[in-house]
Amino acid sequence: MRTRSAAPRPAAATAVSGPKMEIRGVSKRFVSRRGEVDALATCDVAIAKGEFVTVVGPSGCGKSTLMMIAAGLEEPTTGDVLVDGTPAGPAGPRRSVVFQKFALFPSETVAQNIEFGLRVTGVARAERESRLREQLAIMGLEQFTHAYPHELSGGMQQRVAIARALVVRPEILLMDEPFGALDAQTRSVLQEEVSRLRRVMSYTVLFITHSVEEAVYLGDRIIVMSRRPGRIKKEIAVPRDAAWRGGEIEAANDYADFNAVRREVWELVREEIVRQ
Amino acid sequence: MTSGGATPGPMPRARRVQPAILYGVATLGILLIAWALATSAFALVAPRLLPSPAAVIERAATLITTPFSGATLAGHVVASLQRWLIGVTFAVVLGIPLGVLLAWLPPLRAAVTPAFELLRFIPPFAWVPIAVLWFGASTTTQALVVFIAAFPACVINAQLGVGQVDPILQRAAQVLGAGPLVTLARVVMPVAAPSAFTGVRIAVSNGWMALVGAELIVGKQGLGFLISQGQNNDSVSTIFVGIVAIGLLGALIDLALQKAQARILPWTPAAAGAR
Repeated sequence: MRTRSAAPRPAAATAVSGPKMEIRGVSKRFVSRRGEVDALATCDVAIAKGEFVTVVGPSGCGKSTLMMIAAGLEEPTTGDVLVDGTPAGPAGPRRSVVFQKFALFPSETVAQNIEFGLRVTGVARAERESRLREQLAIMGLEQFTHAYPHELSGGMQQRVAIARALVVRPEILLMDEPFGALDAQTRSVLQEEVSRLRRVMSYTVLFITHSVEEAVYLGDRIIVMSRRPGRIKKEIAVPRDAAWRGGEIEAANDYADFNAVRREVWELVREEIVRQ
Repeated sequence: MTSGGATPGPMPRARRVQPAILYGVATLGILLIAWALATSAFALVAPRLLPSPAAVIERAATLITTPFSGATLAGHVVASLQRWLIGVTFAVVLGIPLGVLLAWLPPLRAAVTPAFELLRFIPPFAWVPIAVLWFGASTTTQALVVFIAAFPACVINAQLGVGQVDPILQRAAQVLGAGPLVTLARVVMPVAAPSAFTGVRIAVSNGWMALVGAELIVGKQGLGFLISQGQNNDSVSTIFVGIVAIGLLGALIDLALQKAQARILPWTPAAAGAR
């Protein structure tokens, strides 16, 4: 296991072709009537192609703001976001997003929600249908094809949202506390599902969470953020072939090295919560 | 339930009589019995103040077959429905797009809202003399009064509906590659539709009530006119035929709209309940 601090940070894992996505010198200051709030101190994150990076930190630390900036949905006060070394520009299907509150379109069925991104970007009908069928199968949604979101449980709704984000074949998948609104049992199942998908399809993922266990279970690299204004406190890399990968999240607790990383990350987060 | 549309509708469900429906029918029955008892059975109220249900039904039968004040009952109903439909149609067709635009375009909202807020607190009947001055005692006058009564509810509820759409849905659409117009048409408007539809229902009933009021004041046909003629001819049973017809038609129109909502907006939980 390698452990290293944030800066200076040679991009060891990405030496060949440069990072897939780079968040460079990004900070965010919100201006409101009650004054200015620094939500995010200067942050640098580089994500290699196929890498699964989790970001964990105390609530209100600006990790969701970091993700919104990465998605192009919010403008950074300083810095910029690069994809393949060039400015990423406005939000779009190259970087698809899974939101905490699902954000499904209530007037569209499961199939229509999943197809949305394909239809608005003009993908041909035959191609749309084959990709839809494939995605329905992957996420286990076939029997809900024509259901409306309000007829589904929270877990099923989030499966639809993940399918909708994946069907556009994004270069980068951004997930903003995707399981934060789910009950514990559903959350475990979906965590395992994402871990499985990840192994099969090798997505490049930036995954925001406040759950230390989730961050360690899913991440190739765990970024721990400080309290507001959020800065990157530490990055911890985990070997890709770690023994707990592919198993159930409950079983991960049986591995000493999983628990060691978890404890280390938790101590780092805890310091931020108790620090006055 | 027979579906005439080309697309297969939801599976028809076995109809059970809901207890709620029974309670509602029971209340109406009790009111009717109390009315009958107070008039026919015990004669507590003089017939020239409150006619019996039987007298009202008898009078209705007469009005259906024999013209009174220029038309049969059906003629008065058609006259009222026609003016109402014209006014409400204009209110919906103009009001809902205006509401959407007001919510979508802040500068337009800033420009229009003060005038709109000032005008909407003027009761529809205050416009009757002006409308008569401009258009005479015509269908246009009546329809204009309906329009004035119905328009604000369409605008306000459409605006509210668009304003209440969770911004995260717009972000989700943007991330998936949708431009502003596609987002408005495919995401925002459908989500705002139940609120706008509520606006239409309010507009429809406001328009109906304003129409009858306007017909009481001015006009040569219609249910309001029928009531005022009943008053002039000292025929309280005619007045009651008018009142009952107005109530029944209003309730039927709203019921039809609720059924339509289940068809037009099948994704709304409320619509699923009404199906």
